[in-house]
Amino acid sequence: MRTNVETDGEQSGSNEGMKPMDTSEWLEETNKMHIHRADMNKLIMNYLVMEGFKEAAEKFSIEANIKPPMDLDQLDERIRIRSAIQAGHFQEAMRMVTALHPEILDDNSQLYFHLQQQVLIELIREGRVEEAVVYAQDHLAERGQRDPTILNELERTLALLAFDQPDTSPFGDLLHPSHRQKVASELNAAILKAQNQEETTPLLDELLKLLLWAQDELNKKKVQYPVMTDLIKGKFEEPK
Amino acid sequence: DVEHSRAYIDQLYSNDSQKCFQAVSELKFAVIGNVREKGSIIEQGIVVRLLQILRTPDMDAILKTEVVTVLNSLAKGLPEHASSLVQAGLLPVLWEQLEACVGGGGTNVYIQMVLCCLRSVYRQGCAPPPPAWDHKLLSTLIQHGYHPPSNQECVANILAHACKTCEQQQQLVEAGGADLIACMLCSPVTRVQLPALHCLAAMCFNNERVSSIVSTKSYGGKAVPDLLVGLMARDRPRELQLAAATSLTFLHRAGALSADDPKIIFKTLQCLVRMCRRDREVWERVEAANTLAYLTEVSTELQRTAAMTDHLILTMNDYLKDTPTSATNIPQPLCVSPVSNRQYENPSTWPELMLEAALRVYASLGANDEDIRQKVIKTEGLMNTMVTALSAASPPVQLAAVRCLHSLSRSVHTLRTTFQDHMVWRPLMTVLKTSNSEELVKVASSTLCNLLLEFSPAKEQILDQGAVEFLCGLTRRPHPGLRLNAVWALMNMAFQAEHRVKASILHHLGTDQIFRLLSDNDVHILMKTLGLLRNLLSTKAHIDQIMQCHGKEIMQAVILILEGEHSAEVKEQALCILANIADGDMAKSAIMSNEDVLKKLMNYMVIPNVKLQTAATFCISNLIWNVEDGASERQNKLRDMGVYKLLQSLMTTEDTGLFDKVKTALQQFH
Repeated sequence: MRTNVETDGEQSGSNEGMKPMDTSEWLEETNKMHIHRADMNKLIMNYLVMEGFKEAAEKFSIEANIKPPMDLDQLDERIRIRSAIQAGHFQEAMRMVTALHPEILDDNSQLYFHLQQQVLIELIREGRVEEAVVYAQDHLAERGQRDPTILNELERTLALLAFDQPDTSPFGDLLHPSHRQKVASELNAAILKAQNQEETTPLLDELLKLLLWAQDELNKKKVQYPVMTDLIKGKFEEPK
Repeated sequence: DVEHSRAYIDQLYSNDSQKCFQAVSELKFAVIGNVREKGSIIEQGIVVRLLQILRTPDMDAILKTEVVTVLNSLAKGLPEHASSLVQAGLLPVLWEQLEACVGGGGTNVYIQMVLCCLRSVYRQGCAPPPPAWDHKLLSTLIQHGYHPPSNQECVANILAHACKTCEQQQQLVEAGGADLIACMLCSPVTRVQLPALHCLAAMCFNNERVSSIVSTKSYGGKAVPDLLVGLMARDRPRELQLAAATSLTFLHRAGALSADDPKIIFKTLQCLVRMCRRDREVWERVEAANTLAYLTEVSTELQRTAAMTDHLILTMNDYLKDTPTSATNIPQPLCVSPVSNRQYENPSTWPELMLEAALRVYASLGANDEDIRQKVIKTEGLMNTMVTALSAASPPVQLAAVRCLHSLSRSVHTLRTTFQDHMVWRPLMTVLKTSNSEELVKVASSTLCNLLLEFSPAKEQILDQGAVEFLCGLTRRPHPGLRLNAVWALMNMAFQAEHRVKASILHHLGTDQIFRLLSDNDVHILMKTLGLLRNLLSTKAHIDQIMQCHGKEIMQAVILILEGEHSAEVKEQALCILANIADGDMAKSAIMSNEDVLKKLMNYMVIPNVKLQTAATFCISNLIWNVEDGASERQNKLRDMGVYKLLQSLMTTEDTGLFDKVKTALQQFH
């Protein structure tokens, strides 16, 4: 006879007894959700504008008959800056940002450090060792002294110099193009903030994060369901 | 590179505005983001040249804008950089420039940069607050606060950091500051809303009048308090939630919103408790807890609600135990309200900040309700932590610990048990004797008062610590709060105490000091001094001993009170003292031999105040008490004076207390 058992415990403990939903059932349920096309378009427009795809945004605005959320000429500066970064011209990018929004680099010292770090990385990548060391000394050493996290990052970056093939070293991730992308996104977000935009990352980003988080929560509770393992293709993995 | 940098610095002094502009531009790129360079530029005295450029009439607008951009960047360096700028005379120049732009005198970009620069200086906290604002300047500033968002952010920050005195708060409201804030709260831009909230908090803090005005303002059809509630919603950034909760807290404490207003008791309180959870960042937990302590400091209702909310008492215990490690992403720059004044850059200070915050919350929660006190006391490790904190090096932590102790000392049960176990009086006495902080001594002496209540087992031990001498010394302090606590403590100490204690008090205090205390401006001090005398003059043996040594002065003191302009309450106390004296065997003669006093007693018997009549009658009653030696002589004397007749006339009284006393007295007469 069961007495004084907390109902909460009963419920969460009995997930094992639940029949796992198979993929077709799952898809059936999800198909019942209806997303408005207008909302989809807004999401896409938001992504294009945030990331600075001006031409695409202009064309999309006409084709989907949707008004852009801001004057698209405002994208120009972010586009120019992102181009500079993509081409690896970080010093130039920094000057451009300063000319347009003089407060950004003072107010975001982490961002500033990442930009400087990237300059350093580019110098190392091109094998300009002496210049790299001088740059580190002139611009980064003092900051490293004041902040231990920065010192750590600085040491990792300079450690690349110790390797003949730095991209296979333990710090090789720094040389990967994705690192450049990270900095580019960080800068992009800072500019958006300086323009008094409330959102600094595309909403699609947030949506995907929500999906991953929800799956994580379900996994923690050991629920069996078709897990979306490939976000790009939307592929599911059957529950066991 | 040194060559290169020297070149452009020289060019700064060029009269050719093109060349000068290029140099300033280079300077801009050099100092932005680079703290060392900022320091170097300031050291080289270049600021003087920059200010000169701004002051030069008809100077190129683009050049001036670039110069202000540089100055803004310099101001964002270390606090000493901003101080140097202020010392070099930056602020008057900027204000001048702002004024000159009125009526379309400057470009929008220039105005924006000037405001940015002002804001950056004020945010460093080094701008000296003027005793009052310049009215014209304030109006100009407020005008700029309506549009665009970048200017709004600057104006709000300037006002938030500069508003420090009561007068400034008043001026700000009169100049339209409250309307401006209400407008800013409705901005869609978080960067504007946050400093607006800080400004609101700064305006309302401790100011009844301003708070009441602000709470009635509205914008877009919504009243400010409702707007604030909206900003506490969980989907808002944490700094925003905290700032809104702080504003509502200040409005409540200043009397504009009551404790039972749902916005306070059901929204603000919960928001703050939520932010104390373990999974929150250190700065949130500390700021929220301190604000919560302030919110619940006075109202029992709020204390009770808070104690029940979300296991708050347990959560505070986490504060005492957790050793928070440095987060890798402290929001930069951390937007804590300027009223708070706390720094979070150094993680080694965090445990102490957490400790102080938790103790303050406990102090508030346990202020009035015994059940809450018992729950708090049971908190694991609290007593030990509190006792250790009393001896802590850091004054804020000490103060928090004493406050907590003070609240808990209002519990008789605790005095008899836990406080005895932990001998809290020892570090408390040390604090009292060694502290320089008036605030600390005041709260500690209040606590000592409670510890000295008769039923406190700690009493004996405290006496051995030289407490009497110390407290008598405290009665001479200029601060009335301290004097009061000291006398009160002595009064408690004297209650049913041994003769040696009483003698010690009289010895260390001295009759001169008693006279001084009886002439004190503060009537509470006077009352407690009389209370002290009453307690001293209790139990026959003591009365006789004390009157033998100090009888003359004590009679003088009592007469002083009876003849002075005092309330009936005070006079009643004096009469009670006489009644006690009349109880002593030998001491009776002090009264009997004093015709003047006897006449006064007779006057008081017929004065139309029942309490005074009762006290006087009681005194007479003691004088004529049958059982004692010499009763007949005394009775005869008093009868001759007409006391018997007076007593008879009082038999008609309707007051039962007085009647009983009169009847008893009459029965004593042979």
